[in-house]
Amino acid sequence: MTDPHVVGAGMIDFGELYEQSFDDLLESAYLSLIENVDKGVDPSDIDAAWYGTIDIANEGSSGSAVAHATGLFETPITRVENACATGSDAFRNAAQAVKAGDAEVALVIGAEKMTDSTEGLIASAALERLWRGRGVTMPAYFGMRATRHLEEYETTREQIAEISVKNHENGTKYPHAHQQFECTVEDVKESPTVSYPLNLYDCCPVTDGACAVLVTSEERAREFTDDPIRVAGYGLASDTFQRGAPEALTNFPATRQASSQAYERAGLGPDDIDVAEVHDCFSITELITYEDLGFCEDGKGGQFVDEGRPHLDGDKPVNPSGGLLSKGHPIGATGVAQIAEIFEQLRGEAGDVQVDSPEVGLQHNIGIGRNATGAVSCVNILERP
Amino acid sequence: MSGPRYDRSKRQDQHLIGFECQACGWVSFPEEKRTCKRCGDAPAEMAEVQLAERGEIQTFVVQQYLPDDIETPQPVAIVDLPQEGEGEPARAYGLLTETDLEEIDVGTEVVARFRELFSDGERPINSFKFSVPREEKA
Ligand SMILES: [Zn+2]
Repeated sequence: MTDPHVVGAGMIDFGELYEQSFDDLLESAYLSLIENVDKGVDPSDIDAAWYGTIDIANEGSSGSAVAHATGLFETPITRVENACATGSDAFRNAAQAVKAGDAEVALVIGAEKMTDSTEGLIASAALERLWRGRGVTMPAYFGMRATRHLEEYETTREQIAEISVKNHENGTKYPHAHQQFECTVEDVKESPTVSYPLNLYDCCPVTDGACAVLVTSEERAREFTDDPIRVAGYGLASDTFQRGAPEALTNFPATRQASSQAYERAGLGPDDIDVAEVHDCFSITELITYEDLGFCEDGKGGQFVDEGRPHLDGDKPVNPSGGLLSKGHPIGATGVAQIAEIFEQLRGEAGDVQVDSPEVGLQHNIGIGRNATGAVSCVNILERP
Repeated sequence: MSGPRYDRSKRQDQHLIGFECQACGWVSFPEEKRTCKRCGDAPAEMAEVQLAERGEIQTFVVQQYLPDDIETPQPVAIVDLPQEGEGEPARAYGLLTETDLEEIDVGTEVVARFRELFSDGERPINSFKFSVPREEKA
C-alpha cells in the first residue's frame, strides 16, 4: 500500500465550446496536463486511466474515446459514470488503484459536451413516471430542499442568494470560469423564476469543459514534481428521500456519509479543512453542503454565509474558483476540475483566488441518481504531505 | 433514454397500496419491492398496507421551465401518505392539480385524486395526483 499523490493537472477554459468536438476537449485537457507536469511526463509512463463522462452528447463514449484522444491505446482505460459525482468518482477509482499498487501512474480525465444536445435533460423531465423521479427537473429536486430549509430553519432567501453573489465574484477572478460577471442579491432575487423558490441566478450555466489530472504513488511522485499533493481520503455514498429520514428533506445524507468515510480515512475532520470546492449546481446546494460536511451545525448554513466564513477572505473559503455557478458544470469534467483547483490551492498556485496558505483541501459532488429520486455524493480530501 | 417508455398500469396505480418492510417498518409506494431501501433487508418480507387518501406536503416547488407540451406552472411536492392502520407513512412525489399556488405550503393537507397523469395521445396513463381538499376551499 502506498499513498496516492496528485502530481499534475491540466484544464481548459470552460464555456460554450461549439467549435470543439468531444474528442477535441479530451485532447486539449490531456495536452494541458502533459505540458503542466513540473518535471514532465512521458505518455508511456501512464499505465492506467479513468475517464469520467455522463456522455450527454451521446457520442458513444467508452474508454476507447480517451484512447482516440490521447493515443493511449494499449493502456487499460475505464469509463466511470456516477451522475454529478462522475469526475470525482473517476478520480477516486484512480486513487484506489494507485493505493493498491495496481497502477503506478494513473490518468484521470473528465469531459462533457453539454451545449450540443439537451435531449438527455429534457427526456428526464417527462412526467410519465413521477414516482421514479420523472417530471422532477434538477432545479426542482434541489429547490425542494430550499423550500423546506426556508420553512424549517431561520434561513433567508437573501442568504441563499448571497452564495451566488460570492461565487460569481470569485469567478471573475478565475480564468477558466465560464460566466464572468458579478451580480447582487437583488439581481438573484429578481432574475426569472426557474422552479420556485429558485431563480435563474441560483442555477449553474450549461457549459462544455474538460480536465485531466495525474495520480501516482508516493515513491514515484518526485519523478514528476517537487511539490506533490497527497490524497488523504475519499468516500462515496448514495441516499434517497424515499428512505424517510427527516434530514433528507432539507439536506443530503449521501454527503454526510461520503464525507464521514473520507474524514475517517484521512484521520481528519471538518475543522481541519482549509479550502473546499463543493457542488453548487444551485445556490441552495452549497448552503446545505456546509451543514452536511460539518462546516457548521444543521440549519446554520445561512448564518455561516452571513458571517462571511465561506468567502475568499473567510476562515473556511468555499469555491474560490467561482464554483459551478460561475465556472459551469460540464458533468464529467466538474469533479476532476475541482481536484485540479484544490491541487493548485495547496501548491499556492491559484493566482487571484489563492486562499491563505491552505494545508488541507476538500472536494465534493452531490448528484441526482435514478432520475430525481436518488442522491449520490463523492468526497475527496487532499493534503500537503 | 432506454427502457420501456411506460410502466405498465399496475394495481397500485389505481389503489393507494403500499408495501411495508416487516423488519424496519419502511413503506414503499408505489413500487412493490423485494428488498428494503432503508434497512437493506433482502429478501425483505413486505406486507401490503392500505394508505389513507389524505396526506401532508413535506416540501414542494413550482416548476416553470419544462418541455413545451407540459403545462406550467407545474407544482410538484413530496407528500407523506399515512397508513389507514398503525405504522409509518409512505413518502412519495406527487403532482398537484386543481389547486391554487397560494394554497400550497409545507404542512398543507392534500387529498389523492385518480387522474390521467400523462397521455401519449392514444393511451392515458392513470395514477394519482393531489389537491387541496375541496371543502377547505372558500
Ligand atoms: Zn426495512
